[in-house]
Amino acid sequence: MKSSTRNPNPNPDTPRFGPSKLMLAFRFLRALTLVHRTAPNSSNAARSRRIQRAAFASMAYSAGPRRAWSRALLCRLHFHRARRRCARRSRAAGVPRRPSTTRSPADGLRRLVPGGTGMDYCSLLEETADYIRCLSEQVKLMQSIVDSVGPGGR
Amino acid sequence: MEAKENNQFGLEESHGDHISSHSPGAAGFVTPLTSSPILSASMLEAFFTPGLWNHRTSSCTMSFGESNIQTSTSGINCVPIGKPVAMSNRGMLPSPPPGEFPHSLPHFPVDSGFIERAAKLSCFGGGSFRGISHLGPSQSMTPPSDASKDAIGARVQKAELNVVSLPVEHGTIKGITMNNKRDRSISHVGTSNNKSREGNFCEDGQERHTGSADAAGNSSSSDLGANKRRKATEEMEKEKDQVLRGLQSSTETTKDNTETKCKSYKHSGKNAKDNSEAAKEGYVHVRAQRGQATNSHSLAERVRREKISERMKYLQELVPGCSKVTGKAVMLDEIINYVQSLQRQVEFLSMKLAAVNPQLDFSIEGLLAKNLLHSHGGSSSAAGFSQEMIYPQVYSSQQGLAHAGISSMLNPSDAFRRTLNTEIPMTSGYKETSLQMHNSWNEQLVMQMAYGANPPLNSQVINRKPDGFTI
Repeated sequence: MKSSTRNPNPNPDTPRFGPSKLMLAFRFLRALTLVHRTAPNSSNAARSRRIQRAAFASMAYSAGPRRAWSRALLCRLHFHRARRRCARRSRAAGVPRRPSTTRSPADGLRRLVPGGTGMDYCSLLEETADYIRCLSEQVKLMQSIVDSVGPGGR
Repeated sequence: MEAKENNQFGLEESHGDHISSHSPGAAGFVTPLTSSPILSASMLEAFFTPGLWNHRTSSCTMSFGESNIQTSTSGINCVPIGKPVAMSNRGMLPSPPPGEFPHSLPHFPVDSGFIERAAKLSCFGGGSFRGISHLGPSQSMTPPSDASKDAIGARVQKAELNVVSLPVEHGTIKGITMNNKRDRSISHVGTSNNKSREGNFCEDGQERHTGSADAAGNSSSSDLGANKRRKATEEMEKEKDQVLRGLQSSTETTKDNTETKCKSYKHSGKNAKDNSEAAKEGYVHVRAQRGQATNSHSLAERVRREKISERMKYLQELVPGCSKVTGKAVMLDEIINYVQSLQRQVEFLSMKLAAVNPQLDFSIEGLLAKNLLHSHGGSSSAAGFSQEMIYPQVYSSQQGLAHAGISSMLNPSDAFRRTLNTEIPMTSGYKETSLQMHNSWNEQLVMQMAYGANPPLNSQVINRKPDGFTI
């Protein structure tokens, strides 16, 4: 494997905004290879789950701790890793999905953006903007990976 | 003149907590500041270091640091807070460098002390007012303050804000002249929205630096501010609102969210004295415009609404296809849909990547090279060009396809080539990887990369299916 040629130096000129594309790419690719190497026999579904988690983790790491959503995302991921299924089960069953009496327009957004429940509207919008940026970067990265592998990959 | 004021106001400052630490008089005023600037400068520097995990939350540390600054400098004005906040903010908001604010008065040796004094000066009205109120409406006190203020205000326009606040609150000062100055200063502050103005504002205030201002700033502890608030008249409120508004308009964009939140809880929007107190708690000062309600709650609401609209505008730019959408509700729905689609796309792509297993080792370096080229700001199309340049035979064999797919990139090709040529020497390591990649890859993969480079560059629409690319 030509991993030696891979240059892990983070390009200092790259970050134009919060998420550094290079760091994101590096992290995600490393996580991806790790996933494929460690569990080559697992099903595609399980692996895709892990890859998705890796994607979110690399996204959150490259965004930095200054963002509330990245912190919340990492907390959620670590929490899930610590308590694999129990947490999900308890969370799904324990919390009654009862809509609040005052349905604010930002509720849907709060559910989507990690860490959005504990924020006021202003910071929620800001976090959403950053989250969208990072998400689109991640999607672009994954897309380019899929593309570069080409049709012979599947 | 200033010394006289210092002495005069120093007499009344005996009751302030901070005042005891600061000796009345200009000399005493300087010495305590020399220590605090160091602290505040270090605090400022601490904010400016971009260490990732140094600050748990930018907002928390900002408010914390600001409160520290506040306590250390006894009511520093919003400028120092705003500067570090601006620095810590990401590129979304304008953030002039911290060294900006001392520029207008370069002869001052210590910049942070400069700012502190300006802050104290802004709180000047509170302290002096309190002192005056305690002594009763003493005409002897006010004229010199007015005279000094007038003189200084004549020199520095923005300082008039502080000047205005004092006499207004006091109520005994000739309000007419103050009104004139106030209007001027208000128009000044109201029109400007950047930090430099606020910095200028504080600097100008500092230029007037008087012991009374210092004492006022020192005495601008929470209880002091509370007292001042009680005494605010309607006219004073309006002026304060305007003062605060000007400050807020300049600090708004750089204010941190949590600070604003704290402020919104306690913001009174009445006195200039509240500047110190507000600054201590991370206030964003709002100025009421003509014809608007000057109630503190409505002011805070207005600030909040402006922030929200600003964020919504930014989100509108971010989300594709939302430029023509108006209204917050529809925008919110669009944003929610977009985020959902992005998350679904991540899930879908991860599914695809899970199936890609065997080729992965093979493509890592190529991906890395391509991603690095991607990261060179929109030169991903240039990546396609560079690859084609390196492999002219590949390019010529698939020229029809290339042109069809990359026709949009043909126009800026020279620019891209130049940028790539300039950038490649910087990242020679990456170039090596790309060369190795070319050696190991066949034509199709190269063209695939070119194609892969194309869509992310040209399209912001994420909804496009990836299958369309793997032709």
